[in-house]
Amino acid sequence: MRKPTILSGASQHAYFRRLLKAYPSLSAAERDRVLERLRGEIAQLRLRRAADRPPAVAPPPTVPTTPGRPNPERPSRRRQAAALPSAEPATAAPAAGFDPFSPNIVVVVRQAGRAAALAALATIDSEQDLRLLAHEQRLSLNGQLSSLAELRAAIVAAAERRIANRRAAAR
Amino acid sequence: MTQFLAVSNRKGGVGKSTISVMLAHAAAAWGRQRVLLMDLDTQCNASLMLLGGDGWEKACRAGRTIADYFYDRFDKSADDESHYVINNVGDIAHARTAPGRVSVLPGSQQLEDIQAELYLKQAKKDLHADAIAVQVRGRMKRLMKHFGMDCDLVILDCPPGLSFAAQAALDLADRVLVPFRPDFVSQFALDRVALLIERVETTEQLASIALAQRRYSCLPNYLTGAGHERLLIDQLALDHPLLRTRMPVLDSIQRAFDWDECKKSMDQKYADALPYLRRLHGEVFAVMQPSARSA
Repeated sequence: MRKPTILSGASQHAYFRRLLKAYPSLSAAERDRVLERLRGEIAQLRLRRAADRPPAVAPPPTVPTTPGRPNPERPSRRRQAAALPSAEPATAAPAAGFDPFSPNIVVVVRQAGRAAALAALATIDSEQDLRLLAHEQRLSLNGQLSSLAELRAAIVAAAERRIANRRAAAR
Repeated sequence: MTQFLAVSNRKGGVGKSTISVMLAHAAAAWGRQRVLLMDLDTQCNASLMLLGGDGWEKACRAGRTIADYFYDRFDKSADDESHYVINNVGDIAHARTAPGRVSVLPGSQQLEDIQAELYLKQAKKDLHADAIAVQVRGRMKRLMKHFGMDCDLVILDCPPGLSFAAQAALDLADRVLVPFRPDFVSQFALDRVALLIERVETTEQLASIALAQRRYSCLPNYLTGAGHERLLIDQLALDHPLLRTRMPVLDSIQRAFDWDECKKSMDQKYADALPYLRRLHGEVFAVMQPSARSA
């Protein structure tokens, strides 16, 4: 199968211009307005897709960090740069695998409660993935957690602490 | 009818002045509006972007800044405010026949001192501290409102923090745009500024106001596309009305604020940021239209 061509900038503009010429009832001014609108919509769409895309490189497994030692799971500047939004097309395919930003545990707890969050986490059955999710979502895990159930409960408790923390600051 | 749009956040470094200037250019160029940007920030960044260093310094020497205006007019009638306004500023070329233009009431580093002086002046009237603050804010609000006479849109570029000027601007504004960086502390800043804008005291009271009824909209700014941003934006969207537009980090935006004497088109100035600005302009002014009210 032929790989789809991703157009951007002048080539994208020329493509739409050719396409719109098929509609002679459109005046030049109307065509320009449609082109401008399309340009804006596509730029926004690319930005949203970039924001929704999981990191291009699968992060290494989580290990507790020690002060002064580089944290292997913190996304590097290079990896973050790979996810930068741009008006240019995304050329790298999204990495398949675990997305540590989904589900958004704080949002699930706020909207549907503790049980729903635990149910959402129950679909993740790898300790490494759960720890990675907690790390990337800034949900700190306290104490010795030996089982997956304890880990999930600790993640939800951390989300609840985070919510309470924010409420307290708004008083 | 003149509309007042405040661009505010108690947190600094979120892009208030940048967004204010971009919207001023967009409203003049595309909305064909006569826009006044009132620079309430003592950093004076918006003034520097629109006037350049020399132009701003000349305005300061001539006593044509917001601090001069408040000081000169605090106890008098404000009937000659046009003296303080500098017209046709910025480096966007507008067609001679088009009504759109950008004017600025330049900012001043003295504004904080002046506010303290105005407070002390009122304090001599032997009032309670809270009553004095209310009077100073109220007087500043009325003085700001005078600038609505000769323009279609007044953009109030607010300072970080909560000065009298910032509070007066929030009181006066028909709509408030709150740009924010999607980071950990931004959520606290949004929660707090939302209470002020909606004039409530608790998050429970705030939650009782439907998102669609709020006077403010939040703008995610300086996005890099990282996953943490998505998390935070989703969390904030539960409590605050967010615009659909997201402003990315772009070199073309950073470069656009170098002062340049040569006039240019919006395309030339904003380059690949143009689609984002078009969308922002369209969205902000769409939400402003139905809510227009006299302050």
